[in-house]
Amino acid sequence: MHNSSQPRTNASSAAGDPVIEVRGLAKEYRVFDKPEGLLASVTGLFNRKSRVVEALRGVDLQVEKGEFVAMLGPNGAGKTTFLKLLSGIITPTRGTATVLGSVPWERTDDFRRRFALVMGQRNQLWWDLPAAESFRLHKEIYRIDTARFERTRDELVDLLDVRKLLLRPVRDLSLGERMKLELVAALLHEPEVLFLDEPTIGLDVVAQHSLHRFLAHVQAERQMTVILTTHYMKDVAALCKRLVVVTEGSILYDGSLEQIVDRFTSHKIVTLDLDAPPDPAAIDRLGFPCEIRGPQVILRIDRTRIADVLPGILRGQGVRDVSVEDVPLEEIVAEMFRSGSTAGTNGATGAPR
Amino acid sequence: MTRYVSILLTFARACLVRDMTFRANFVLECVTSLGWMAMNLAFYLLVFTFTPEIGLGTGWTKAPFFAFVATGMIINSIVQALFMPSAEELTEMVRTGGLDGILVQPLDAQFLVSMHRIDFSAFANGLVGVGLLAWAIPRLPQPPHPVAILLYPLLIACGVAILYSLVIMLAAATIHLGRNQSLYDFWFYLTNFSRYPAEIYSGPWGGPLRALCTFVIPILLVVNVPARVIAQPLTGQGGMMVAGTVFAAAAALVISRWVFQSALSKYRSASS
Repeated sequence: MHNSSQPRTNASSAAGDPVIEVRGLAKEYRVFDKPEGLLASVTGLFNRKSRVVEALRGVDLQVEKGEFVAMLGPNGAGKTTFLKLLSGIITPTRGTATVLGSVPWERTDDFRRRFALVMGQRNQLWWDLPAAESFRLHKEIYRIDTARFERTRDELVDLLDVRKLLLRPVRDLSLGERMKLELVAALLHEPEVLFLDEPTIGLDVVAQHSLHRFLAHVQAERQMTVILTTHYMKDVAALCKRLVVVTEGSILYDGSLEQIVDRFTSHKIVTLDLDAPPDPAAIDRLGFPCEIRGPQVILRIDRTRIADVLPGILRGQGVRDVSVEDVPLEEIVAEMFRSGSTAGTNGATGAPR
Repeated sequence: MTRYVSILLTFARACLVRDMTFRANFVLECVTSLGWMAMNLAFYLLVFTFTPEIGLGTGWTKAPFFAFVATGMIINSIVQALFMPSAEELTEMVRTGGLDGILVQPLDAQFLVSMHRIDFSAFANGLVGVGLLAWAIPRLPQPPHPVAILLYPLLIACGVAILYSLVIMLAAATIHLGRNQSLYDFWFYLTNFSRYPAEIYSGPWGGPLRALCTFVIPILLVVNVPARVIAQPLTGQGGMMVAGTVFAAAAALVISRWVFQSALSKYRSASS
């Protein structure tokens, strides 16, 4: 299935080489359409209609050691497929990839000892047993020596404050507690690369914040290379400097968080808190797209004109408070998803990081 | 190898801890299983009130036949305890994407898929089988030859290997089909053929069936050969059977390995 010219170096990636290198990676699935109704179902037994779905369409990506990359995209964009390919769970239809110098889908033990995958919607701990038992199993599978295992486990458990949960059956834990223990299990063998697939999905804000702090700390301390897929901008803002936006199996944007704002928006949001609700006609005369919410006015002003027009606005409207902000990242990304941005597939990459 | 043994022991420990957590369930499973065995044994005892031998001139009188039954119980209990729980779980793991977690671990996937769940309650039948064998051996028309006693554990292992190969090939079919809830049923139907002496398969239908279940799907070798070696006098033909069983077990393991690996390369994972 994979290209015969695929690099086959299983040794550690040489210093300076990208930890993850992906070229033209594509994955297609053949899916069967199931027509509605009994008659159609019976007919379908003999004559099934299938079609090819392109989950990934020739993605290129390089990730350097110690980077924390967020991969953002709507449902079905191909984010999880990408992580499954990089983890060696599935094989690609086309293209090449190396992670830590190994071809993932060759599934060598040496490679699999050096990374970890955490999936927010899948439980990998033994359901009926306390997490401590799963950790013990993990120690054997990853051949972690006892002293190192105990040191790492204690450090991670203390960082997440989950010591009291270790002896409780996993099925009795909350989603947030389970996810914390999943992360401990994934990090016990000190992986060089960590793939996180929507780790904060379904978690409350306290649990999300706790995971953010933990991941930021561990990644910085270990200089781990991390790819995080998520739907939540909070995850991206809290953890990553580099953002990859994916829709329909293609990369729409690959660059820094700051650059995405510069590149995809031409205006800033100016919020005015006034003494009293304004006269809408007077606000309209300012000539900017606006929204009035009682005594609050929200204007969208071209970023190049802010300095020129803001003093005039402040003088004339009885302003008590003012704030000037970038367009929220959620809004930019949502617009990119909607428009399927034409900024260039794999061509909208930001400046070198 | 020692690493895999160590991991298997860790799995066993974890499964035992889990079984002990649900003690009532564990006891109930043992009782259900033993009850089923007791009913089977009662049925065979009933049969022997009507006839002294299963098939005239076959040598399967009461004591040899119960040695046969005991051999079947031992082999089946090993397969049921070590392999079936994991293989059955594989169907669910493929459907839900749980297999992903196994494929990223630095171990042989077939080992993990085959042996990560151990059902200790299934060993209860095996213990009954050992007891039944201990009852039957002193009552055999001829005591087992020392060579037969040495060959018996080897042939038990071969029987387990043949059944394991069938289980893992059926489980691998799950990867292609996406859903295969009839795995256990199909395995039960297949192994049913192995539960009786091969001599019962004779006549215009029985002959071809016997050939099919000996040379194509070697299910008739699983219990028949070890049971015959321990319960009946060794003959030249017996030597051929032993060699054939060892060969069949090795071939079954190689073929099942190939089937599993090729299925794994087609694994497409479930959507998250």
